Amino acid sequence: MRLSKFDFHAPKTISEAIELLQSKGPDARLMAGGTDLLMKMKHGAVKPPCLISLKSVPGLNAIRFDESAGLTIGATALLSEVAEHPDILRHYPTVAQAARATANVQVRNMGTVVGNLCNASPAADNPPIHMAMRAVVLIEGPGGKRELPLDEFFRGPGVTALLPAEIVTGLRVPRMPVNAGTAYHSLSARGKLDCNAVGAAVMLTLKGKICEDVRLFISACGPTPLRGRKAEEMVRGKELTEEIAAKAGAEAAEESLPITDLRASADYRTEMVAVLTRRVLKEACQMALTSQPA
Amino acid sequence: MREFNIVGKHVPRNDARAKATGTAIYTDDIKLPGMLHGRILRSPLPHARILRIDTSKAAALPGVRCVITGEDTPKIKYGNWRLFPDTQDEYPLAIDKVRFIGDEVAAVAAVDLDTAEEALSLIEVEYEELPAVFDVESAIAQGAPVLHDYCPSNISVNRKIQYGDLEKAFAEADYVREDTFTVHAVSHAYLEPCSSVAQADLDGRITLWTSTQTPYITQCLLASTMNMRENDIRVIKPFVGGGFGGKMELRTWEFCAAFMAKKTGRPVKFTLSREEEFLAGRRRHPMKLTSKVGFKKDGTLTGKDLRIHLDGGAYNAMGPTATFLCGNFGAMLYRYPSYRFFGEHVYTNKPPASAMRGFGAPQSIFATETQMNIAAEELGIDPIELRLKNAQVSGDKIPDVATISTCGFKESLEKVAEMCNWKEKRAQYKTGGGKGIGIGCYSFISGGVFNWFNTQYPFSAAEVRAFDDGTVHLLTMAADIGQGCDTVVKQILAEELGLKMEDIRITSADTSMTPQADLGAWGSRLTLMNGNAVIDAARKIKEQIFGMVSVRFNLNVIHEMECKDGKVFPKGRPQRSMTFGEAVAMAQKANRGEPLVARGYYTPRDKGMVTPAFSFGAQVAEVEVDKETGIVQVKKFWTAHDCGTVINPKAVEGQLEGAIQMGLGYTLSEQFIMDGGKTLNTTFLDYKMPNAMDMPPSETAHIDTYEPEGPMGAKEAGEGLAIPTAPAIAAAVHHATGYRCKDLPITPEKILNATKSL
Amino acid sequence: MKHVITLNVNGDPYTVSVDPSQTLNEVLREELNLTGVKLGCGSGDCGACTVLMDGRAVSSCLTLAVEAEGKDILTVEGLAPSGEKLHVIQEEFIDKGAIQCGFCTAGMEMSALHLLNKNPSPTETEIREALSGNLCRCTGYAKIVEAISSAAQRMNDASERNQ
Repeated sequence: MRLSKFDFHAPKTISEAIELLQSKGPDARLMAGGTDLLMKMKHGAVKPPCLISLKSVPGLNAIRFDESAGLTIGATALLSEVAEHPDILRHYPTVAQAARATANVQVRNMGTVVGNLCNASPAADNPPIHMAMRAVVLIEGPGGKRELPLDEFFRGPGVTALLPAEIVTGLRVPRMPVNAGTAYHSLSARGKLDCNAVGAAVMLTLKGKICEDVRLFISACGPTPLRGRKAEEMVRGKELTEEIAAKAGAEAAEESLPITDLRASADYRTEMVAVLTRRVLKEACQMALTSQPA
Repeated sequence: MREFNIVGKHVPRNDARAKATGTAIYTDDIKLPGMLHGRILRSPLPHARILRIDTSKAAALPGVRCVITGEDTPKIKYGNWRLFPDTQDEYPLAIDKVRFIGDEVAAVAAVDLDTAEEALSLIEVEYEELPAVFDVESAIAQGAPVLHDYCPSNISVNRKIQYGDLEKAFAEADYVREDTFTVHAVSHAYLEPCSSVAQADLDGRITLWTSTQTPYITQCLLASTMNMRENDIRVIKPFVGGGFGGKMELRTWEFCAAFMAKKTGRPVKFTLSREEEFLAGRRRHPMKLTSKVGFKKDGTLTGKDLRIHLDGGAYNAMGPTATFLCGNFGAMLYRYPSYRFFGEHVYTNKPPASAMRGFGAPQSIFATETQMNIAAEELGIDPIELRLKNAQVSGDKIPDVATISTCGFKESLEKVAEMCNWKEKRAQYKTGGGKGIGIGCYSFISGGVFNWFNTQYPFSAAEVRAFDDGTVHLLTMAADIGQGCDTVVKQILAEELGLKMEDIRITSADTSMTPQADLGAWGSRLTLMNGNAVIDAARKIKEQIFGMVSVRFNLNVIHEMECKDGKVFPKGRPQRSMTFGEAVAMAQKANRGEPLVARGYYTPRDKGMVTPAFSFGAQVAEVEVDKETGIVQVKKFWTAHDCGTVINPKAVEGQLEGAIQMGLGYTLSEQFIMDGGKTLNTTFLDYKMPNAMDMPPSETAHIDTYEPEGPMGAKEAGEGLAIPTAPAIAAAVHHATGYRCKDLPITPEKILNATKSL
Repeated sequence: MKHVITLNVNGDPYTVSVDPSQTLNEVLREELNLTGVKLGCGSGDCGACTVLMDGRAVSSCLTLAVEAEGKDILTVEGLAPSGEKLHVIQEEFIDKGAIQCGFCTAGMEMSALHLLNKNPSPTETEIREALSGNLCRCTGYAKIVEAISSAAQRMNDASERNQ
């Protein structure tokens, strides 16, 4: 349970970090909070010869909210800071909730939302709601800056769309549309100290009682968080009745690709996708209804 | 009922300040000059012959001071019961064969941990893999691979109990049912990983600081495996971060630290990682229990036939005792006019199971209590009524097994029913409606009598040294591992001598100083057994001073004397008194200065072969089940229990609250997830023990009894409380969902699968 | 390559040479002999190694020592600076019977301090949430929650008196 040996660098700028990534080769690892990476190293799953910490880059931990541009979460902003930020609690309650649902107090005081995304665990708490809310990943690399929708970012367990020497510097989450609601539910089959067995997040926009738009993402049921497209179709353009919600749940269950592992069986996961989908749809719909002007 | 000054009062633990400030020294906190750091190489295979071990590269690594394999050791087998040599089946390091993933193969001591770790990777072991067995059925099948040559059947121990006419019992019964229950392995999950530091003394003695609940057992087994005499080993127990049965045998790292300290002349420390603890650590026995019971129409029990298989893992460890105790606990709680038990302990290629809080009782009584709940339903009798009808009472005897002197079981049942509004809630919640309440009960021993008879040792011993400054020094081998027995025996001594807590100094669990023998902290033995030894020593001190005081006051011989409030005086005449310190001074002066010392001991008599006293209790759980997800939420626990006199109320409450955490985990969330012989969940992230958010509120009542065999009326309050939680939750889940669990743990998936087919 | 770091632990400045692979836990326990900080799992799950870093409760087993450069660290040894008069949290842990084996105690107390610094009047649920990263096998948490609740009360009473 001791860490293997490595070189450590704490660059002061993003361009310095990119240069280090280029010069240290493909096995060098970037870290923000380090909680996921150090765990993997302790269990011998990875042995990077070089770690590059982003924590010394000034301003990278900023959380900014702007009425028009929305929310920007810097790469080293802590999970606890996101969970407790007044603007996030007010305008992005489900983003705060997902951050707060991540691991435990100590890990939230060390780990970051962006790190949780870059780790690309299919069971992670933060990706589904950010995907549902059309978050965009801010990337810098040797070729300059680019942006990528988060739902195109994940390529498999632990694999992202980042090119060599690219760094995620932050995450931008657009403002929630008017008349929209969001929800995130996760389940662990055993106990609360946990890594999820299954999770579901949704953003849903109403026009009157009709669901104009809906984005549903399921976690821990495939190699990456999955979009429930058929479930969305079931809901789009309709009023969210019990029956529609149940049908959407069944569709989402059909679309999910769970495996059996330590945390739950594939069958249980499939069944829970249906239950959670139904629950998040109803909760988001309720939020959208109450947010509508009377 | 006696009136007490210190017993039964709120007395903070004597070690609380040291622990609150971080100054309490645990084994891994010890650092000695020149100390080497040890690591253990473990088998990656569940069953294999060792063809060759090459340690030369590891030994040549700069910084490595010592590398050993089984071949370098005296090759002496050990096990906890020296009285039964054929049950001793373990070597400190593997000889010829490995039998589970994690079995210890070699050890390295180096100048630092990183070097030791690197050296492990340089040891080459060539194995010939052998077929392995991972469950009881495969292990006892014809032609199954044999784990130990001495035991071709893989059944290492069996135990029978029989009394009464069982055939007649079932023939006369109106209602007979047979059920099979399976229960799973769980981890002790003490927070402090095992750790040992050994140092060779000048005179060749080895001092071992170790995280143990049984210093004396460690001393004698370490001596035998090192081929030394017992007193060539000194075992010191520093503060211990929990044990729960998982730190009560000689373990490989204790041997390796001692052996390598002797070999290198330098202190050696081993501390396990949490991963090792989960991968290879001891665990509670998985069992399969088949129980047949008969009842009359009115609910009167006629008999019980219990057959069990224990999945023991690769070695006996404490399995033989668990086998024995399962049979005894099967006969507890209710009056069975006839009873038969047959238990077999089976080897499999998994980490050895061993003692764990309750020691066979959680498994045995899960079967008893669940079956009782099923029978109540089928007979149409309220579960508490059915229990009251059959409950054991004070004075009951189990032939050849036990005599129950005090029993507050019926009172516990009545009390708990009242506390939780049993009748109203049973009627109010409809079966399958998502809410339910259920009951589970327990009885437990206050220390074992078995296995220690036929030795020249007492069951427990204490020494009290009295000083003329009014203080006394208590020496005891009782091992405080967090349960608080140091505080409890200090309270007992202060009470008996009429002194204050701050007048008592204690030295405990150092085998070079504290009285020999005493099996340590297990079987809930310390309050009763060590408490009695302490009282015996205190009375001998009083005998020595009372004579002097009597002469001093020129009292008539019929006067009785008393020690109270730091004074010694004739009963009823406190005005004629002297201080305790003055009395000690006088006694010493009268004996030409001989220090005032007394030794006390405790050896039970006429109590049957099980235990001097039994605790009893009943617990009700209320649950709510999410019928869509199958997730169970326990809303509340109510417990009424009889542990005799409560010596330290907060310690007893703490035992109960901790037991509930363990019981809740056992029932709903904790399990080892195995792939063949490999333990897959080796972190607290995936070994899910309840955290602060998982714990429901709980209400408790103590049933007043005074146990004549106990010190000041006390009996056990440590392990028994870990027993009723599983059957209580299982019964409540049945009430809430209609799903009857006979197969622990209760998982959301089992509930959903069962309720779908209802 | 070793890094020379300076950090402030319990108010005392230290300069230590550390390998990047050393955790803060290893440096506190092995180099600074602050063994009140425990190691229960090494993977950030049990909380026995909890310390405050710049006021935040963190797992010292998952924090690289090099990243503690320039930080203020508070361990259980620094809870009651005078040594004789204990911190209210410690006093309540002792009085309420919240300590059994004691191995989780230091981490529990540090998590409690982190909570009470942020939220002086926590509800029972908030206390339990704040302890979700601290495991205990002995107490069932009941008396720990009670001790923290009572410590909060006493700290609030004391600060009212001071105003």
